[in-house]
Amino acid sequence: MTTLWDTTGTAVVKALSAERRSAGSVASGLALTLVVVVDEKRVGEAEQAATRAAAQHPCRLLIVVRRRPDAPEPRLDAEVLIGGRLGPGEAVVMRMYGRLALHAESVVLPLLAPDAPVVTWWFGDPPDLIGHDPLGVFADRRITDAGQAEDSLAALLQRGQDYVPGDTDLSWTRTTLWRGLCASAFDTPSEPVAHVHVSGAPGSPSRALMAGWLKSRFDQDIELVDSEGPGLTGVGFDLQDGVQISLNRRDPRTAVLTRTGQSERVMPLPRRELGDLLAEELRRLDADETYADALGAATGVGSLDDAPTTRSHVWQDPAAAADPDPALTVS
Amino acid sequence: MTNLLRDPRDRRLPRIPDPCALVVFGVTGDLARKKLIPAVYDLANRGLLPPGFVLLGFARRDWVDGDFEQLAKEAAEKGARTGFREEVWERLADSIKFVPGSFDDDDAFDQLAQTLDDLEASHGIAGNAAFYLSIPPPAFPTVLKQMQRTGMADNSVSGGWRRVVVEKPFGHDLPSSKELNALVDDVFTPQDVFRIDHYLGKETVQNLLALRFANTLFEPLWNAHYVDSVQITMAEDVGIGSRAGFYEGTGAGRDVLQNHLLQLLALTAMDEPIRFDAESLRVEKAKVLSATHLPKDLAAYAVRGQYDQGWLAGERAQGYLEEDGVAADSRTETFAAIRLDIDTRRWAGVPFYLRTGKRLPKRVTEIALVFCKAPHLPFAKTDTEELGANQLVVRVQPDEGVTLRFGSKVPGTAMEVRDVAMDFLYGEAFTESSPEAYERLLLDVLLGDASLFPHNAEVEESWRIIDPLEEHWAAGGKPEPYRAGKWGPNGADEMLARDGRTWRRP
Repeated sequence: MTTLWDTTGTAVVKALSAERRSAGSVASGLALTLVVVVDEKRVGEAEQAATRAAAQHPCRLLIVVRRRPDAPEPRLDAEVLIGGRLGPGEAVVMRMYGRLALHAESVVLPLLAPDAPVVTWWFGDPPDLIGHDPLGVFADRRITDAGQAEDSLAALLQRGQDYVPGDTDLSWTRTTLWRGLCASAFDTPSEPVAHVHVSGAPGSPSRALMAGWLKSRFDQDIELVDSEGPGLTGVGFDLQDGVQISLNRRDPRTAVLTRTGQSERVMPLPRRELGDLLAEELRRLDADETYADALGAATGVGSLDDAPTTRSHVWQDPAAAADPDPALTVS
Repeated sequence: MTNLLRDPRDRRLPRIPDPCALVVFGVTGDLARKKLIPAVYDLANRGLLPPGFVLLGFARRDWVDGDFEQLAKEAAEKGARTGFREEVWERLADSIKFVPGSFDDDDAFDQLAQTLDDLEASHGIAGNAAFYLSIPPPAFPTVLKQMQRTGMADNSVSGGWRRVVVEKPFGHDLPSSKELNALVDDVFTPQDVFRIDHYLGKETVQNLLALRFANTLFEPLWNAHYVDSVQITMAEDVGIGSRAGFYEGTGAGRDVLQNHLLQLLALTAMDEPIRFDAESLRVEKAKVLSATHLPKDLAAYAVRGQYDQGWLAGERAQGYLEEDGVAADSRTETFAAIRLDIDTRRWAGVPFYLRTGKRLPKRVTEIALVFCKAPHLPFAKTDTEELGANQLVVRVQPDEGVTLRFGSKVPGTAMEVRDVAMDFLYGEAFTESSPEAYERLLLDVLLGDASLFPHNAEVEESWRIIDPLEEHWAAGGKPEPYRAGKWGPNGADEMLARDGRTWRRP
């Protein structure tokens, strides 16, 4: 492990390659670079999840902590590790102070693994427009989590309006196991559905995306039923021949699948840890069209097929935008 | 009506089989306990089994469902690749059934057929069932006739699909394999017969196809112009253990060469299939196997050996003749090395050396393409003394991956070229740990995807290739002894030396 105080990007690149040398062949295969954007107080949590995901997907982990953008002097502290507390791969934790926080890409770009895909994950609130953050602009995949926002449904709407192929959201990942069970319930030949309802906590973005997905697949409106939650708690289908299929969470690990005329079945449906959700996102690195359909239907934005395919950086100075401080306007 | 919730673009949702039953004959055997049941658990744990799935055991035990569930649970806890989770087991547990009976017991089979019918209502399996014959080959005809009698094997009677899974050996020579194939294909329809060669379920073997046909880099070199020879090795460090009864009549040639090694050869040497589906793959494999033959001079190009006592991995190992149940004058080979030639435009003149053995220094399976030397080297002779032939090695197990060996300049003032290796290790570049071969193959059976299963035409071609070898060996002579823990008998080295080559040390 190398710790660098008040350093430069060039020194970090050098430290990383020195660490690689001394680690021998431990870290030769790199499938991707994962950039994590996080606040200082939640670094531990993000590190834990990223480490868990990195154990399944060998990657170069770059953790960017932006601190005190109003600090008068820009400054960079970095920690370079290989095969240490952050999993088997390479990891760099960077703390950026002052105006440097607005130009994080100048440190991150030379650290990206050559010609490997880049995934950026905002642990916490992402920028309103992803384009505001250069760390999102050069990424092939961008992971947000509407579930963490104060108003999750508004955050989801924002993601729908700002959608570009390659975007994804962890509240969508949380529906995967649910969707798998629903899809397998329909593998048995069935009549067309007459009515569908999705129940869950009123503000749950996962409930909204699940309903959006079903709406886009069945091409009909989905009833939303409120429950105590947390999150998504059940899905029910009434088929045209009167058969009812329902899937309801029983406890944090299982759900009960019922179908008219058949015995109840207990299916595993674990609530997954953040690291496992992240690992699922890293499994595929191309655009997720199904998510686009579900997001479009869930937010009412409509078809996202015509969404622009690339993003460019939109300069936004938080200092100039919020309460302008004359000392900070020089970029 | 099609399932609207399935969308090929939605790659987060796994392919899940139709609701079905997996019926295992001989469920108390080693294979079932060590491989099949853990594989079923792993599939359930990965969420790859349909909600209506039933594991139905059939064996000669005085058992009820609960006893079998207990055995299955122990087997899963012990053998599963993924962590054992109680909730996954809970879901499986109420779909585990047992029918007791012996193979010649008509009542037991009637009860089995009745149980399958009942499951249709209670578990919604819609008549779908796969039968796994984890039983000794002599019992095949009895079991198959029972299935025919009860109509269990009939797709139209059952109203769903009925498939059968057969383990090797698929006969012991060409006539016996034809007889077995005819019997199985008669009871089931030929496309519903799945012959398991678990090597084909290994991730690296499938990767061989990706490596060859998804890249532009390798295919231009994949022919007699650039390839000097191909070596396919499957080495085991263990002896025959308690399998003397089976092994005595079989030997390395029938046990490994005829199936695993010839399948690896077929995948290495075949032309590009038109599509990546079962039929196209089988056509190409059968084509290349039909062009494959042993050399005329079998005395020079077929070496067999038998392990003698020796030291292996720091422990004393006894010789084959001292193993329990082995005749003192046994001529069964535990090591076989042969040369094969393929008469096609692509491979004419390129020898394929295949070797397999027990009690070799380590457990390893690999395919190595040894490339021709550069036609001209502009360096002084002394500069390239340490330069060997370029090699592309596909490591099937362990440390799954691909290695490319080529020459590189040694740092320093002198122009000195030495071999270096560029290594791709599966575990490093990829994501999930590779599924066990049985896990993958079992899932394919339930999905009805036969791409990774050898067709009976391939099995018969393989016997056609191997039969003359077995006849030659049966005609006389004894296998050459080799010390346990060595890379086989001297004859194997002499065989390659005769062609001016050496074996690669895996």
